[in-house]
Amino acid sequence: MALSNRDRARLSLGIQAAIFAAIVVVLIVIIDWTAVQRSFFNVEPVMAMFPEVITVGLWNTVRYTFFGFVFGLIGGTVLALMRIASFPVYRWLATLYIEFFRGIPAILVFIALGFGASLAFGLNLSTLQTASTALAIVGAAYIAETIRAGLQAVPKGQMEAARALGMPAWRAMLTIQIPQAFRIVLPPLTNEAILLTKDSSLIFVVGMAGSAAELTKMGRDGITMYQAGMTPLVVAGICYLLITVPLSILARRMEERSPGRSSRRRPKKKATTSPVSSGVA
Amino acid sequence: MSDESANAGPMSTAPAGVVIEGLHKSFGEVEVLKGIDMSVEPGQVVCLIGASGSGKSTLLRCVNRLEDPDAGSITVGEFDATHADVNLDAMRQHIGMVFQQFNLFPHLSVLENCTITPRRVLKHSREKAEAEALHQLDLVGLKHLAQRRPAQLSGGQQQRVAIARALTMQPNLMLFDEPTSALDPETVGEVLSIMRDLARAGMTMLVVTHEMGFAREVADRVVFLDQGLVVEEGPAEQVIGAPTQPRTQDFLRRVLNPLGK
Repeated sequence: MALSNRDRARLSLGIQAAIFAAIVVVLIVIIDWTAVQRSFFNVEPVMAMFPEVITVGLWNTVRYTFFGFVFGLIGGTVLALMRIASFPVYRWLATLYIEFFRGIPAILVFIALGFGASLAFGLNLSTLQTASTALAIVGAAYIAETIRAGLQAVPKGQMEAARALGMPAWRAMLTIQIPQAFRIVLPPLTNEAILLTKDSSLIFVVGMAGSAAELTKMGRDGITMYQAGMTPLVVAGICYLLITVPLSILARRMEERSPGRSSRRRPKKKATTSPVSSGVA
Repeated sequence: MSDESANAGPMSTAPAGVVIEGLHKSFGEVEVLKGIDMSVEPGQVVCLIGASGSGKSTLLRCVNRLEDPDAGSITVGEFDATHADVNLDAMRQHIGMVFQQFNLFPHLSVLENCTITPRRVLKHSREKAEAEALHQLDLVGLKHLAQRRPAQLSGGQQQRVAIARALTMQPNLMLFDEPTSALDPETVGEVLSIMRDLARAGMTMLVVTHEMGFAREVADRVVFLDQGLVVEEGPAEQVIGAPTQPRTQDFLRRVLNPLGK
């Protein structure tokens, strides 16, 4: 019996659907759903986590990340400008910083600030200061490379046009190149904010008072506190998703209508003479 | 010089002349300009013609120092453009430049493109800058598009905005770097006619172009460059109509009759 290509494709889809349905049925039958519910979705004891998991945990996570991101953005912009500077020492310093902090685990920076800073310099940083400084230090290294790529994606003619009008270099950078670069890097910067949100959990290694607890700390403590299996971690995880999923949708939206798309299109180069010229002559 | 380089005080709007002597410029191993001597009298229009790679764009870009010459001197009005201590920003405020790719600022409206430099650099009030910008946009026939973004305009319209933007700085000299080469054929005319009006109003203009019709009608003088040297220069009618140098004749034959009839 000869099958047409379309029939064969339909048959293949049917077989795949049948196998998938069979697996689902088997799982439904063999899994102990009460055990799953008890350890992952044990709602009643975990209700005690509310509202603190939102008002304290989520709030602290957002705060640490926000300040870390803002200072990381400032530091990253400075590093990006150093990376493209004409003075080579600036370039070397920026490259050294970026390679160093991208190359080590972020958790080392948290430990260094949480324990090392007080031991070495007698600095007593609050949890907010520790977390946002560590995030800023690490974030700046990643953000710098993103912004550098954005600055270099702005067509060279933009800077030339600004300088030809008589703008000093710093003014042209500030009013022409940086605003356009930021439009280009807005989607990747949003992804950077997502990464920092997740990295804010690393403050957990330093330890913190209950009022400074963020989502991971609350989830971890909840496991011992509520006898609800892993449910507190599930709650913490959902809270992270409340931040990261909207951000990632936002990033995708911005990518779809990227401002660079129409304006970066280069006009086509024409042949040396056009019909009009012979008309004028 | 000292009056001119200071931003404060009334700017002179008299057309400036250009004098270029012994200009050399190399990119790496390649010597693009091999000793150029030429001048533009105040109020004159000079067209630079020549094949791709002849150095005409580089020569133009040396005048406002977008390129740094290796040797030679350039004087623009009262500015010694090649002097080590020249205030380049002040000098460039007196030299308008129009690029092949327009180079409008895509994140700003048409009006903002024309007001940002007068406001931020010359410190003009918003009202004054906008009035001047709208006046210049009116002269190029685009006042009604002042609120649009450059991306919403046709190539010809963008280039007209670029001309208006340069003119809002009240330049004494205008440089045009192949202003119509990136345009669709049907919009070339609108840009050329604005340039012709500007020339008739007495602006000093140095124009790199392949538009021989424009050069013939508008230019006071035409300079033919080949391989980094001035091969022939003189009145437009003579250089384009009756060239004496074989290389000029050859170039014009190819440009005016691409099919070689």
